[in-house]
Amino acid sequence: MDILEISHVSKSFGSNKVIDDLSFSVPEHSVFGFIGKNGAGKTTTMKMVLGLLKADEGEIFVNGEKVSFGQNHTNRFIGYLPDVPEFYGFMTPMEYLMMCGEITGMPGKQVKEKSAELLQLVGLAEAKKRIRGFSRGMKQRMGIAQALLNSPRLLICDEPTSALDPIGRKEILDILHSVKKHTTVIFSTHILSDVERICDRIAFLHEGSSVRSRTLEEIRGIRRGDGIVVEFLKQEEASHFLELYGDGAQGEGTMVTVYDRAGNAMDRIMEVLLYNHISVQRIERLEPTLEDLFLEVAAK
Amino acid sequence: MRQLIAFTKKEFLEQCRTGKLLLFVIIFALFGIMNPAIAKLTPWMMDMMSEQFAESGMQIMAVEVDALTSWAQFYKNMPMALIILLILFCGIFTTEYHKGTLINVVTKGMKRWKIFIAKLGVMVIVWTLGFLMSYGITYAYNAYFWDNSVAHNIAAAAGCFYLLGLWLISVLGMASVFCNSAGSVMLVVGAAFAVSYLLSLFPAVKEYMPSYLLQSTGLLAGLSEGADFLWAAAVTAMLIVSGCMISVTMFNKKNL
Amino acid sequence: MNMTMEITEILPFLIPLVIVEFALLGYTLWHILTHENYKYGNRTVWIVVVIIGMNFVGPILYFILGKEEE
Repeated sequence: MDILEISHVSKSFGSNKVIDDLSFSVPEHSVFGFIGKNGAGKTTTMKMVLGLLKADEGEIFVNGEKVSFGQNHTNRFIGYLPDVPEFYGFMTPMEYLMMCGEITGMPGKQVKEKSAELLQLVGLAEAKKRIRGFSRGMKQRMGIAQALLNSPRLLICDEPTSALDPIGRKEILDILHSVKKHTTVIFSTHILSDVERICDRIAFLHEGSSVRSRTLEEIRGIRRGDGIVVEFLKQEEASHFLELYGDGAQGEGTMVTVYDRAGNAMDRIMEVLLYNHISVQRIERLEPTLEDLFLEVAAK
Repeated sequence: MRQLIAFTKKEFLEQCRTGKLLLFVIIFALFGIMNPAIAKLTPWMMDMMSEQFAESGMQIMAVEVDALTSWAQFYKNMPMALIILLILFCGIFTTEYHKGTLINVVTKGMKRWKIFIAKLGVMVIVWTLGFLMSYGITYAYNAYFWDNSVAHNIAAAAGCFYLLGLWLISVLGMASVFCNSAGSVMLVVGAAFAVSYLLSLFPAVKEYMPSYLLQSTGLLAGLSEGADFLWAAAVTAMLIVSGCMISVTMFNKKNL
Repeated sequence: MNMTMEITEILPFLIPLVIVEFALLGYTLWHILTHENYKYGNRTVWIVVVIIGMNFVGPILYFILGKEEE
């Protein structure tokens, strides 16, 4: 069954059409990546699902029930993590969760247990100080705890990782991954590697309309056609490598870019490096830009 | 009901922990003490000044001070206290819009009208207790130094001013639903009072305006009767109720 | 009129007034010193304002204009 279904939704701000005939659905028990550039309409879409914005056209269903703007009853199925979560700075995490629990109508004893459990999960169990002094990453984790409090069927996260350092990002992704068993997770991002790490389905949002959702395998298949960058310590080594490798490589200073047309370029690079005892600074697969990826997905 | 209690609890916690509650207690206590103090000091100040005036040839009669002088001070100073209260509360909604803190609460299934009522309730409670405190302190001093019985209709006069405060608080609530910055909320509150004040310049509608309630000081000296203010009070009460209903309806449709 | 008589007569005001004012002053100074960011101005400015405007104008100005929203 689909936990979320968006059908033919459009939304304009003034004359600017942000969402144009958007349709997709999210099956239950998946981690759904919602990818798009900044300004593609990700946040707008999420806010419409939550009933915080009114859709001009189209309908949205959460768990089979229609979403209504304003006083939205389907929100009882949803946990939401805003892009910049803000809480009441004068409260401690425990107090905040207790208040949320009372608002959702959980029994008093259960609120306390669940809050303690969630604070443990997001690693804030020891944080007794008020939220005012929290760092960005701590607020993000606090946001997840808050979103999971009512055991939602659907967890919506808006760019949960974008403002964090690599360690913070990994922590957030791990937490999202760990709740997958009970909850369907939708998260928006413009960072491809985050998606690869935990998602099993992906939808691309481009200029307000979605391209069909894909499984991760399909996306991986598309990415294989990209280039590889090899950076050497000295320029002589780079030019030496260029000679040895031959076709399909371009050099510039200590950097060499190899275009992986046949799909075996990585093996060949390793081979050349190993047999000729050339050491390198780094080898990296070129990240395709979202634009490239979108065009490829759209073309298929 | 639990939602309402939980959110009201949060509002009070906020007032306590950000120190606003203490500030209110101090301000209202101060405004309560000031009135009889000024009344008590008046003859002394007059005495000091009369010496100066005597040099320039003016004669000042000895002033008679009683509870009425102190009550007159009360109605001169309380508008200031009310203005301070309104300024301190003008961001009660808008700061939450700015920070997006209400989004979390709403997506947790909070009924929007309860947010509005809880916030309005906190303001009303602070105003009520603060007003009672100032009133009580002034009353007690007056009873100690003079005799309150020279003033008529003390409670009715106080009730009128209290009602005016309630009206301005409800205007503040309504303005907060439509405006997104504390500054514009304050502006709307000021404008609402100005309109009421300007309209009361026309004798035909004067008695129906909320700002007419400020004239209730006339009650004390026995210059007017409680019944004279019934219309103004009724109109104000109606404005409060209809204002709240409009606010709640519009708040349900607000983009947070 | 006799000055000394006046002072004993205003003592019932003076005592609570002084207590309330000093409570407000102390509380405001404590608030300024325990917070690092202000809506407008900086710490020195606010300490000066609060001490100069001691009879409750300074502290109220601080809470309206200086204190950061939490």
